[in-house]
Parts: sequence; structure tokens; C-alpha cells
Amino acid sequence: MFDIMTVFESFIEILKVVPKTLFLALIILVLSFTLGAMITYIQSLNIPVVKQVIGVLQSFLRGTPNVVLLYLVYYSLPLVLAWFLGLFNVTFDPTSLNSTAIVIVTFSICYSVFQSEIIRGALHSLDKDQIEAAQSLGYSTTQVLRKVIIPQVMVEALPDTMNAFLIIIKALSLAFLVTVVDIFAQARLVGAQSFSYLEAFVAAAFVYWGICVLLTYVIDKLENRMRRGYA
Amino acid sequence: MDIQYMIEIFPQFLSVIPITILIVVLSAVFGLLLSIPVAAIRIRKIPVLSQLMGAYISFTRSTPILLQLFLFFFGLPVLLQLIGFDITNIGAITAAVACLIFFNGAYMSEVLRPAYLAIDKGQHEAAESLGYTPFQKMKRVVIPQMAPIALPGLGNAMIHLIHDSSLVFAIGVVDIMGMATIMSGDTFGMKQVEVFLTVALIYWGISMVSEQIIRLLERRKKRVLRKTGYELKEEEAGYSV
Repeated sequence: MFDIMTVFESFIEILKVVPKTLFLALIILVLSFTLGAMITYIQSLNIPVVKQVIGVLQSFLRGTPNVVLLYLVYYSLPLVLAWFLGLFNVTFDPTSLNSTAIVIVTFSICYSVFQSEIIRGALHSLDKDQIEAAQSLGYSTTQVLRKVIIPQVMVEALPDTMNAFLIIIKALSLAFLVTVVDIFAQARLVGAQSFSYLEAFVAAAFVYWGICVLLTYVIDKLENRMRRGYA
Repeated sequence: MDIQYMIEIFPQFLSVIPITILIVVLSAVFGLLLSIPVAAIRIRKIPVLSQLMGAYISFTRSTPILLQLFLFFFGLPVLLQLIGFDITNIGAITAAVACLIFFNGAYMSEVLRPAYLAIDKGQHEAAESLGYTPFQKMKRVVIPQMAPIALPGLGNAMIHLIHDSSLVFAIGVVDIMGMATIMSGDTFGMKQVEVFLTVALIYWGISMVSEQIIRLLERRKKRVLRKTGYELKEEEAGYSV
């Protein structure tokens, strides 16, 4: 009933899509980090109505599961894009939108909220006197940002950001719903070909587990090294 | 956008909300019960068992919940056959609840463990010197101090659970999401945006209600903590990713 050899064969098949999954996750991480930084910046400006709107959006993105958001974006984004481009008289076929793009957009938006929390937390930990000291030394704003704020905030934000990377890899398993092939989707395909789903899923579990253990190890090493510089 | 249609389909979703709540409550309660021995083993550092539990926690943390659901759905019958039960197919709800209990047991044990370790050693010693039995110590000294520290983590676990329960439709349970996929098929792909927007609003509502409940408990917690003189750290209750 349960065949170890099939597990091994599935394992090899699944390994083929690991680079693609990691690459997708990396794109989403970078985009969500950029978006998150923008959200943090806009919130710090304290513009009356904008602040409330962002607050509601944050609560919405946090309160709804990723699946629901994925489906929502999958069905509504092409229509919204077509309408928006129509304003500029650009013709756009709603069915031509790539589903990989939809996955990237959805998860970037989902996780930007969490990223903005991480960035805000890291900024809180920064000593305000440091900025004043830099200013009194005659640093320009970009210099303060580049030489004082970013190095220190990065150390604080890095562990959580890398955690978010792992979470994104796991969340990508939903991508099979919109026909994007990642590790989990590949496991389903392999399972369907050999009629042995259980073996394929066990193999996929080992792939995920391996990735996580490896990445956690790398993150720990990196964090230790970065912290040493400021100890 | 057809708001009329959204209002029309809303009652149909209400009829499946009990299934989601059933799954969430069952897996929260039994997950908490499972997490207590797991946390205890890890705290006591019982040789072989502790390593096993470490592997269990690392496994549940590193694989997607969707994969775990499928593993349980296809794996439980095989496992049951090994120990003699001949069941070729178990119900999807059983598999879903079993999987979420398994997942939540690991998650919550990692909330309980630091909460237990946060209690001052002197408290244990004081209770022992007063002649408390281990059970009395647990009931009168440890749990009252543990509860407020563990509360935000348990609240997060609850919200995660609500979100994760939306995935059980993938193995065929007709919960809110399952109903939505059925409905979007019924309308021949014309009204999917409305259907999923309604679902999103429902989940948003459920999350908000549970967040309010947690906040209510937290207000009580602050009152209790002020009495015991425990220093509250800022932003301790943040929603972690």
C-alpha cells in the first residue's frame, strides 16, 4: 500500500520545481517589503482620511484568509485592470492575464500588511538620539537614512522578514488553485500520474521540511553575524 | 458589481457557518489539550520524547497546512489499516479536524512553554514550602500567572485557526469556502467576484468578533496583572505573522 521507492521517485520530481517556488517567494518578499515600507511611511505622515482608509484595509487583509483573497483577486483583477486601462483607451483582454502574476499580486498585497508591522516595530526600537547625533554631525537626510537608520533597522527587521519568507513559501501552496505549479502543486501532479497521492505528499512534506530547516539555519547564522557588529 | 445578488446569497452562507465554527472549536479545544503534554515534555526535557516532540513541532511549522490536510486525508486510512481498523475512506471533516488538532497542538505548545518558563522560580519554591501538592500548585500559583502571559498567543492561534479552516474545502468539506466554490460554479462563472467578496466580508466579520473577544479578555488580564504587579511590556500582544 505504501511504497518507499515511489516516495523517492516523487521526491526527485518535486525537487525540480523548488527553484521556481523559491524565486516566486523571493519576488513576493521583495514586493511586499517595498509595499510595507510605503505603508509605514504613509502612516507616519498622519494624513487624516488616508490613515483611516489604510487602517480599514489593513484590518480587512488581516481578517480574511489568503484563499479567499486569492480567489477574489483572481476573478476581479482582470476586470479592474481592463476598466482602468479602458480609461486611457488601451484595449486589454481580461482573459490574457497570467495567473502567476495574479499570485504575485495577491500575496504581495497580503503580506505587505505584515511587513509594514515588522518595519514599524524595527523603527520603534531605533534610538531617536542616534538620528539627532547624526544630524548634529551635519549628515544629510539620505546620509542619516543610509548610514544610521537602515543598518540598525535591518538587524531588527531581518529575522522577522526571513520568517515571512518561510511563511510565503508555505502560502504559495495555495497557488495550485489558480494553476500555478509550486512544490505542492507538483506533488499533486506527481501523485495523479502514479496514482499514489500519499507517497507524493510525504515526499513534498520532506521537501518543505528540508527547505525550512536549511533556511532557519542560514537565518540564525546571518543574525548572529549581524548582531555581533553592534554588540 | 451586483450588490443585490450579494445580499441574496448571504443567508446561504449563514447555514454553513456552524460547520466552520464546529471545526474551529473542536480543533482549538483538543489542540489545547494536546499541547499541554507536548509542552510539559519539552519543559521537563524527557530524553527521547523531548526530541520527538521537537521534530513534531518543527514538522508542523515547516509544512503548509494544506499539505498536512492532504496527508491526513490520504494517510489516516492507511494508518488505521495498520492497526487493524479497516476503513477505506474516512470523512473529510474527521480528517480536517484531526489535522487541525495535530497542527494546533504544536502551535499552542510553543505558546504555553515560554509562558510557563516566564514564571519566577521563587514562586514554585514558595508554593512547595507551603506544602502545596503539585496539583494545588498548578491550580493556585502557576495557571493564574501563566494565563495572562499566554493569552495573546492563544488569541493569535485562534485567528490563525479560523483562517486555516478556510482550506478544508480543498479536501471536500462544504464550509464557507466550499459553499463559495459550489456557488461560483452554479452561476457559470458570471458572479464570482460577488461571491468571493461576500465570503471575504464574512471572514472579516468572524475575525473581528473573535478579536473583540480576545480584547475583552485582555482588558481583564491587565486588571489582574496590575494587582500582581507584573510589568506589562509595550506591544506585547502584537499580531505576529
